[in-house]
Amino acid sequence: MSTPVAATQTAPTSISPFADLFRREPLFAGAALFFAAVMVPTTFALLIDTRTFQGINVWIKPLKFQLALAVYLATLALFAEWLPRETAQARWYRIYAAVAVFAMAAEIVWIGGAAALGVGSHYNTAVRGLYPLMGFFAVVLTTASLVYGVLVWRAKDDGIHSVFRMSVAVGLILTFVLTMIAATALSSFASHYIGSGTSDARSFPIMGWSRDGGDLRVAHFFATHAMHVIPVVGFIASLMLPKSLGRTAVILAAIAYTAFVGFTFIEALQGRPFTLLGFLGTGVSPDVQLPPSRSSGR
Amino acid sequence: MNPDALFQACNSVAIVGWVALLASPFLPKLADRVAGLVIPLLLSVSYTGIVLAFWSGTDGGFGTLADVMKLFTTREIVLAGWVHYLAFDLFVGAWEVRTARRERIPFLLVMPCLALTFMFGPAGLLMFSFIRAARLISTLASAA
Repeated sequence: MSTPVAATQTAPTSISPFADLFRREPLFAGAALFFAAVMVPTTFALLIDTRTFQGINVWIKPLKFQLALAVYLATLALFAEWLPRETAQARWYRIYAAVAVFAMAAEIVWIGGAAALGVGSHYNTAVRGLYPLMGFFAVVLTTASLVYGVLVWRAKDDGIHSVFRMSVAVGLILTFVLTMIAATALSSFASHYIGSGTSDARSFPIMGWSRDGGDLRVAHFFATHAMHVIPVVGFIASLMLPKSLGRTAVILAAIAYTAFVGFTFIEALQGRPFTLLGFLGTGVSPDVQLPPSRSSGR
Repeated sequence: MNPDALFQACNSVAIVGWVALLASPFLPKLADRVAGLVIPLLLSVSYTGIVLAFWSGTDGGFGTLADVMKLFTTREIVLAGWVHYLAFDLFVGAWEVRTARRERIPFLLVMPCLALTFMFGPAGLLMFSFIRAARLISTLASAA
């Protein structure tokens, strides 16, 4: 009678990692899928529309935000596994999650609508109160990483290696703190370009950052991806190092990553393009005079 | 992208869907998926993309006939309107085929409805509904 028991024990609890996301956080996983699907008609618009904004097709920016929010939601759905069990059912949490998704949907509608009209979204103050309102929604959706970080940190039922759990919490909280700093700076200027940059044409491939001046979006990007980078470090550390060393590795990684984001932030404030890739020979176009580059210290 | 090329592409894709509907007695599942889902959604992606890209360049609106005519002075918006027909007509055609199969309406009766839906959308829907109603009434009457 041992065979049936063994068969039950080895039976998978879910059919795929993808389905797993829906079991962990159905709302976030569903919204991630929806935003990813919205990229299809947006890409079609990109293919047939010839209008440009700041030198690039008007639909590039909506696509970037749709992808970014899909990745953000899918990551949160992945991390939802390590929330305290009672949280996922809690009424306050369900309401909060719905509000966060609403804020993200509002951003997508706003940015896509501005693209359809061929006007700017961020820094566009033509409609009184709209830009500040979208800033408020942006803060709301970013708090999801803080809430998740704190909840994962405090989760007691430990079904996960403690070094990795710590790295998830640290990464999420770091995403919130660093993104708030970078985004506050971004919105306090009249543009994300610092210095001579006024166009996204001839910019960094895919990312679109300015190559002829500072661009605060660099720091925003890396700040927001702390929630991916630090858990990757934590995951590797949890496999390779004993617990205490693993924790130290995560803390060191968090400090180093914060320093790196700070570096990109100051670099942009000084009006200089992102240079780390420049060291690798892809960052600066040949006809642009690069200011004497300092060592990044890394 | 050239609106004329897109027009041709959408027409060709729609025809594939209608051919699938004609073949539906032999390939019901495939026809349902292709004509009832995949192709209408492809056309919807085109439609949505066209509207996203070109709607802001129009004046006019939905409120009066004159406004609608003004809307249809833009080449791309006329294209969008045409793709709208293609997508919805095919979707309705696929619904007629599914409904007929479920209610055991002979395919020979569905074919003229499909032809009419293909050419003049709502008229085809009307004809299909008349056939359904006639069969329903005769069933009820014979049961009574």
